Amino acid sequence: MCASVKYNIRGPALIPRMKTKHRFYYVTLFSIVLLGLIATGVFQFWPHSIESSGDGGVEKRSIKEVPVVRLPAASPIPERGDLSCRMHTCFDVYRCGFNPKNKIKVYIYPLKKYVDDAGVPVSSTISREYNELLAAISDSDYYTDDISRACLFVPSIDVLNQSPLRIKETAQALAQLSRWDRGTNHLLFNMLPGGPPDYNTALDVPRDRALLAGGGFSTWTYRQGYDVSIPVFSPLSTEVALPEKAPGPRRYFLLSSQMAIHPEYREDLEALQAKHRESVLVLDKCTNLSEGVLSVRKRCHQHQVFDYPQVLQEATFCVVLRGARLGQAVLSDVLQAGCVPVVIADSYILPFSEVLDWKRASVVVPEEKMSDMYSILQNIPQRQIEEMQRQARWFWEAYFQSIKAIALATLQIINDRIYPYAAISYEEWNDPPTVKWTSVSNPLFLPLIPPQSQGFTAIVLTYDRVESLFRVITEVSKVPSLSKLLVVWNNQNKNPPEESLWPKIRVPLKVVRTAENKLSNRFFPYDEIETEAVLAIDDDIIMLTSDELQFGYEVWREFPDRLVGYPGRLHLWDHEMNKWKYESEWTNEVSMVLTGAAFYHKYFNYLYTYKMPGDIKNWVDAHMNCEDIAMNFLVANVTGKAVIKVTPRKKFKCPECTAIDGLSLDQTHMVERSECINKFASVFGTMPLKVVEHRADPVLYKDDFPEKLKSFPNIGSL
Amino acid sequence: MPLWRRKSFWLALSVSWLLLILLGVFPLRLAVPPGPLPGCSQGWPRWLDAAFLQSFSQSETLPKDAPQLSQAPRGSSCTWGACFDTSKCKGNALKIFAHSPAGTTTEAHRRILDSLEGSRYYALSPTEACLHLFLPSQDHTCGPLPPYWNGGRNHLVLSLYPAPCTRLGQAMVAEASPSLDIFRPGFDVALPYLPEAHPLQGGAPGQLQQHSPQPGATLLAVAEEKGRWRITDTHASTCPWGKHCEQDPGLHQTHPGETLPNATFCLIPGHRSAASSLLQALQAGCIPVLLSPRWELPFSEVIDWTKAAIIADERLPLQVLTALRDMLPSKILSLRQQTQFLWTAYFSSVEKVIHTTLEIIQDRIWGTSAHPSLMWNSPPGALLALPTFSTSLKDFPFYHLQQGSSPESSFSALIWVGVSSEPLLKLIQVVAGSRYCAQILILWSSEKPPPDRWPETTVPLTVIEGRRKASDRFFPYGDISTNVILSLDAHSTLSTSEVDFAFVVWQSFPERMVGFLTQNHFWDEARGAWGYSTEMANEFSMVLTTAVFYHRYYHTLFTHSLPKALRTMADDTPTCVDILMNFLVATVTKLPPIKVPYGRQHQEAVPLAAEGPGPVPEPQPLAQDCFSRVAAGFGHMPLVSSRVRLEPVLFKDPVSVQRKKYRSLEKP
Repeated sequence: MCASVKYNIRGPALIPRMKTKHRFYYVTLFSIVLLGLIATGVFQFWPHSIESSGDGGVEKRSIKEVPVVRLPAASPIPERGDLSCRMHTCFDVYRCGFNPKNKIKVYIYPLKKYVDDAGVPVSSTISREYNELLAAISDSDYYTDDISRACLFVPSIDVLNQSPLRIKETAQALAQLSRWDRGTNHLLFNMLPGGPPDYNTALDVPRDRALLAGGGFSTWTYRQGYDVSIPVFSPLSTEVALPEKAPGPRRYFLLSSQMAIHPEYREDLEALQAKHRESVLVLDKCTNLSEGVLSVRKRCHQHQVFDYPQVLQEATFCVVLRGARLGQAVLSDVLQAGCVPVVIADSYILPFSEVLDWKRASVVVPEEKMSDMYSILQNIPQRQIEEMQRQARWFWEAYFQSIKAIALATLQIINDRIYPYAAISYEEWNDPPTVKWTSVSNPLFLPLIPPQSQGFTAIVLTYDRVESLFRVITEVSKVPSLSKLLVVWNNQNKNPPEESLWPKIRVPLKVVRTAENKLSNRFFPYDEIETEAVLAIDDDIIMLTSDELQFGYEVWREFPDRLVGYPGRLHLWDHEMNKWKYESEWTNEVSMVLTGAAFYHKYFNYLYTYKMPGDIKNWVDAHMNCEDIAMNFLVANVTGKAVIKVTPRKKFKCPECTAIDGLSLDQTHMVERSECINKFASVFGTMPLKVVEHRADPVLYKDDFPEKLKSFPNIGSL
Repeated sequence: MPLWRRKSFWLALSVSWLLLILLGVFPLRLAVPPGPLPGCSQGWPRWLDAAFLQSFSQSETLPKDAPQLSQAPRGSSCTWGACFDTSKCKGNALKIFAHSPAGTTTEAHRRILDSLEGSRYYALSPTEACLHLFLPSQDHTCGPLPPYWNGGRNHLVLSLYPAPCTRLGQAMVAEASPSLDIFRPGFDVALPYLPEAHPLQGGAPGQLQQHSPQPGATLLAVAEEKGRWRITDTHASTCPWGKHCEQDPGLHQTHPGETLPNATFCLIPGHRSAASSLLQALQAGCIPVLLSPRWELPFSEVIDWTKAAIIADERLPLQVLTALRDMLPSKILSLRQQTQFLWTAYFSSVEKVIHTTLEIIQDRIWGTSAHPSLMWNSPPGALLALPTFSTSLKDFPFYHLQQGSSPESSFSALIWVGVSSEPLLKLIQVVAGSRYCAQILILWSSEKPPPDRWPETTVPLTVIEGRRKASDRFFPYGDISTNVILSLDAHSTLSTSEVDFAFVVWQSFPERMVGFLTQNHFWDEARGAWGYSTEMANEFSMVLTTAVFYHRYYHTLFTHSLPKALRTMADDTPTCVDILMNFLVATVTKLPPIKVPYGRQHQEAVPLAAEGPGPVPEPQPLAQDCFSRVAAGFGHMPLVSSRVRLEPVLFKDPVSVQRKKYRSLEKP
């Protein structure tokens, strides 16, 4: 701007004098032009400094420079909040549209300064927390700068605290936002609602259909499934670092640290203290603090001074009592200290109650029962208290500790409503990380014995041992419950035998040709598999009798979430080598079954093919070994259960070498298998295999009972 | 000045001028790179003076004290804290008294009252009750209000079908599929919309026969009027419902005869009259897709419906359809199983629905000792998992996997000494010889006084005086210090190896009973009733509780959850206790017990059959009678048969006995 002004003034005045022969003039003229040029250049090339309002790049400027918007006194005011709003009535879901990532897009209006007709500001521009909140949204995956693609709009008008607001003018400022449209899809954040004398529990600013993330809702103002209840942020949590304290009994059983408490309640609390003395501590503000001491960081009991919030870590339970407002910032401090909050605020909607299970982290006591509080708390077993302490701290870490955590949890809740099929589960919201790591959620958790009529599909993996394959097919086809036979032809260089040469069996027989000779082809979830039960069988397992196979299927029906197999194996910890060792000797224990002959649920095929952790699948294909160990690891890891070995030990011709031609039970083979176990254990990050001492046999196995009356007489014959 | 110099000077001057003008008029944009800077996102600006911003709470003037507390709201705005007086419930125990219904007693009323009587919350007189049940009449007269009404405080207005008179005073309302606008969360209870012919007890099991959907199964069924379903081929039609797209009647078939949908997903419209379809879908194992329901989902206070259903926006048909089509197999698998679990646990009979309602209210009274969410939402469900047993999930036999814990490694032996007091010495030695045994408890139920001296054992031995009732053996004695119990009869004969092996097996199946001798149930066509047999057979469905491992929790469940009538009957017929316990555990697990080998030498000596010497080939008529009465009492047959016996890995294998761990089991 500066340079062009200079040019405009100087330029025309200088031109007529150019013809003079005075060198002095030329030099002056030239220098002026040169200076002008340099000034212009410098201005142009100076990065970012002259970039005014706009949408390019991250801006660095002062809040004082934001554009000013004048609100005429007669500009429209939105209607008051509609209490009957639900997502399907007041929220325009079409703006969210289809989105492969299942993420809502959030737009933030640029910051403006609003003044009334007289030029008086409507409010202070923005608070530190609201600035942080908008920055957090802006940095998140939800953010979009394209207003036309946005699904949710966040005004930059700060309504976190209602007290400094001019209600009518703030509402007018909201109504003139470019996409306001009755507040549809607009999200307001408010932590301190209402004002004297009656302190409403929701923001008083008329906001029509806008969603409210509010920090003090009561059941009468909270629109379930529409509004979001959020915590009141405690600025102390950024100032004071309270390290996590191990759960367990603490110095005080019950502590009250709030300063502004209704006298009636304070009387109740003091009565408790008088009754229980040492175990209850009721604190108040300090009256005799010396100059310069921050009064918010101190609490007093009589003449004793305590540091706040550190003192909270000395208590097992901490009272969170309603004040003028239902939502109290002390809740955040209490959770941070790992103290179990005792919430006494009738009708208060606890923060994020839509997703958080507060029963696990807090005790809610009705106001009427305040005097019974002590005995209610004493009835809670110590183990449960410790769980609650742990849970309280975890809630703070995950959802309370920063403005960013609060903002993102709020958006996640709204996101889950719009994309319910991609929603976060109860466990993900509520389980602390330690529980998440150790817990197992069995994908086949429903106790169910599938009907026998369903039968099973036998899958024979073969390369070129046609003769042996045909024998296996003939043997397996005698099993009554076989419903289909699938041959996975893994040899790309040779065609499978002609159709007329295959054994004639009573069930459908299908041959699948694979594109590559890979062991993982055995576990591919072929469309041809229609039954839930799958029998994986090698092309040289001819020693299993029909009774044994049928019995194996019966065992699988009783344990459909396990691997049910014939030859069993064991893993052992080698103390000398400090690593896992594979064992195939006659042992009293099993932890694996070979998949050369095993029944399992076909879902595990899907898991093996698509959800195998790390590089295990490729590793197995590259080494042409250990696909069975990998399957054992996978199933044990997702179900947390052991395998079932069926029927007595047999002389399997060469059970180890089924997939690998000619390789015998020699030392190298055992070393390789041990390597597999160690490799998989490191990829899984744990040893999921479970060791058991039992195997399954028919009820009357080897019992003194007429053989011909037994269901499965031909078991264990060598 | 030479001409060339002047010329060049002019040239330089004019070029400079030109540049100056150009730069002034068209500012160079080269300095600002187009688009966002790498590494920086566009968005909310980083203010230079952000550090000087005030905190939102700074300008807050703390109110001196809280304003006068507002009066507790009444009527339409009732909350649990304001409108229910928990102090009336002595010892925090819910007791409900049923006043005779207003107006004529309908079939629906009778069913409610019947299921209430079987409940542990039933109160015989209004004075001991802290909750009063009021059954509104179905007509518009609203009927006379019962005595003790007290403005509706501590009253429950319960109606299985939409009734005109439910919102009365401060009473809680439990009604079928309440509209969202009038439902008071945390105070009212949302019931399912039951079909008229819903069974009172037991109820049909879920229809799911396999965990995963059958390949090629229909993806979608749409609920229509009167419990009918329309099967839709989603691959041909892109929009199976709603007004947003044209409907082509040629693309779907209607099966008017079919009452239960056979599809992976069941679309249920949002209006209240479609609420009855939810139960059909649950029973069929068809994942309910609820399109913006305007009614509260049943028992939403405790049931996490996101685990069993999809609640979607009816305005986005294509998006929902795409999401259903692309849903991961793992998600479908878990949703389907959850529908079945919920159906069996809470919805399959009127009795379960009523008991669940009461359980929810009891949970509110209990407060911190209520069922944790996991108990409500995973098998066996909150009606069968009593939080009075423990508030720690690790103490229950069902949640070890979810909690990442493992079952205990020691057991307590509970030896029942009945009428004939046999020499206990040998049995005590055998049990104490097990390295997993933590204590021995003698339950003295004999008329004779117990001996003063007991054999020296390495583990503590305690004598408990029984009340000489058959159900004594399943009483949750405080003396039992471990979670595992080995229940024995005085005349049981076992070896230490057998005990050790059975215990190790139990650790793999902590929720089941692990026993030695078994019985089998069958449908007796001749008698038209269930019967059972103790003969050796290829199958079994019960284990004799005279020598069995099980979790201590079943003592609590036996004593506190079984209807009193059944327990009294068991006391009258001792063999009945056995049957009752097997029924109870099977109801919880839905699985058969586990059988482990039992040395033949014992079988020939003394059988483990309860009471009385000598083999009992067939149960006495009295016991058969008991069996059919227990089956009737449960309303369904929970027993499941097994054909499997679990044995040591090397059991009877042709290897040296020296290599075997449980050698005494090998004896012929």
